[in-house]
Amino acid sequence: MCNEIICRCEEITKEEIEKVIEDGAQTANEIKRFTRAGMGLCQGRTCRGLVERLIKEKTGIEPQNIVPSGYRQPVRPIKIGQLGLKNEQN
Amino acid sequence: MNKFDVIVIGGGIIGLATSYYLLKSGKKVALIEKNEFGSGASCACDDAIFFQSKKPGINLELTIDSIELYKSLSDELGIDLELENKGGMVLIEKEDHLKVMEDFVKKQKKFGLKVDILDRRDVIKKQPHIRKDILASTYCKEDSQVNPLRVMRGFISKSKKMGLEIIKNNIIEIKEKKDGWKVLLEDKKTVESEFVVNATGAWASEIGKMIGIDIPIVPKRGQIAISEAIPSLGETNAWSAQYIVTKIAPELDRNQNEVYKRLGIGFALSQASTGNYIIGSTREYVGFNKKTTYEGIQLILKEAMALFPIFSKVNVIRTFAGLRPASEDGKPIVGEVEGKKGFYIAAGHEGDGIALAPITGKVVADLINGKRVRYNIEELNLKRFKY
Ligand SMILES: Cc1cc2nc3c(=O)[nH]c(=O)nc-3n(C[C@H](O)[C@H](O)[C@H](O)COP(=O)(O)OP(=O)(O)OC[C@H]3O[C@@H](n4cnc5c(N)ncnc54)[C@H](O)[C@@H]3O)c2cc1C
Repeated sequence: MCNEIICRCEEITKEEIEKVIEDGAQTANEIKRFTRAGMGLCQGRTCRGLVERLIKEKTGIEPQNIVPSGYRQPVRPIKIGQLGLKNEQN
Repeated sequence: MNKFDVIVIGGGIIGLATSYYLLKSGKKVALIEKNEFGSGASCACDDAIFFQSKKPGINLELTIDSIELYKSLSDELGIDLELENKGGMVLIEKEDHLKVMEDFVKKQKKFGLKVDILDRRDVIKKQPHIRKDILASTYCKEDSQVNPLRVMRGFISKSKKMGLEIIKNNIIEIKEKKDGWKVLLEDKKTVESEFVVNATGAWASEIGKMIGIDIPIVPKRGQIAISEAIPSLGETNAWSAQYIVTKIAPELDRNQNEVYKRLGIGFALSQASTGNYIIGSTREYVGFNKKTTYEGIQLILKEAMALFPIFSKVNVIRTFAGLRPASEDGKPIVGEVEGKKGFYIAAGHEGDGIALAPITGKVVADLINGKRVRYNIEELNLKRFKY
């Protein structure tokens, strides 16, 4: 059994990630979309590297050729009320 | 040998659904994707199977049948697709929108859709966090949702087991031969088949050009923000009447604020099974640019706060944008191209592609297998654009 947690925010295990790689996912984005690894509160800060290592292990693709998952705004979670918006009607 | 019965071009939800139903009918299928699965629209969108936004007609008919297919797909694909039926509400803030919506609802009812208009008191019952001066809303019990990421994953893994050949490469050339088609790839390999399906979404016209036809589909960008997981705010998913008006009756949209009009802001709110809220979206013509903009995201979130003031205290954790494949008349283009035997199009679903994926895949497979389909499918053929 390998129940090692890779993405702590979404509680995604190594086993689950290996399964989607077998199912046809080849890039970090595809793994993210199909397992939710990296979609939680920290947005992949912890698991990004681990996921890339699993791709290398499973597919033999060299690290420099692995397409990394995208970085997206916001860099940190931010309260919607802090976006400098006034709560009024247009 | 690189010979297949069918080559499907495009690994979005439409190409994957089409591949699956073709495989199921016994065809040998290759799927060509130039980028990542779902990198156009299918992995950057909402999750709605939204009956209320459909004009009575073939889109609504197809949606009704598509949801029936979704009901059996979780079992067929062996994955929980998170198909849920929470119902949907179109929130009405302005008197002139109420008139448009009353009219629209009347037409939908005539078509057999169970949808009603609720007054303020009943709206607040279903949506306790809504702004207190909301005017009215529609309510349709049938509106549903499904998780597109899970649908994509399910189609890919099942289809692979059924023998799908996945080719991740760019296409250089598509040649018509006496008895089929030949596709030349960037890595110099070629694949051949009797049939080709162009399911490249917003890129469909580029593939069209390769065989000398015009396909009137352009990318329409939609930006979305995702909130942290929170408890449910209300009973149903919700849209603003503005969203419907922008979508079905843009001509009634004259007195809207310039920026809102340019960005095509139409508020849509849905909660994923994980508790995160999906807050959308814009409708912009900016070519193949998939970036999010501060202006766009800000305005979407402003709408969210205006309708549901409690959102000011909620964290947004991610934003992204997708490219809707928008056809000239808002209906998808599905069917064989006149004069190009064996070449099919399945693209242009704009904001309905998640809802319509299973039925589109099934219809294309049936057409290729020479089966009769029960819709007036000519209405979706490319030739409707010939004047
Ligand atoms: C913000 C937003 C919200 C939405 N909300 C909803 C909703 O709630 N409900 C709903 O039903 N729909 C919704 N949609 C619409 C839905 O996402 C699309 O209609 C659907 O995903 C289109 O699927 P597709 O497979 O046609 O296109 P895509 O998913 O874009 O797939 C096309 C694929 O073709 C590939 N491709 C392109 N050119 C080539 C080439 N030359 N060779 C090989 N491959 C190629 C691309 O890389 C891409 O992967 C929304 C869309 C957006 C953007």
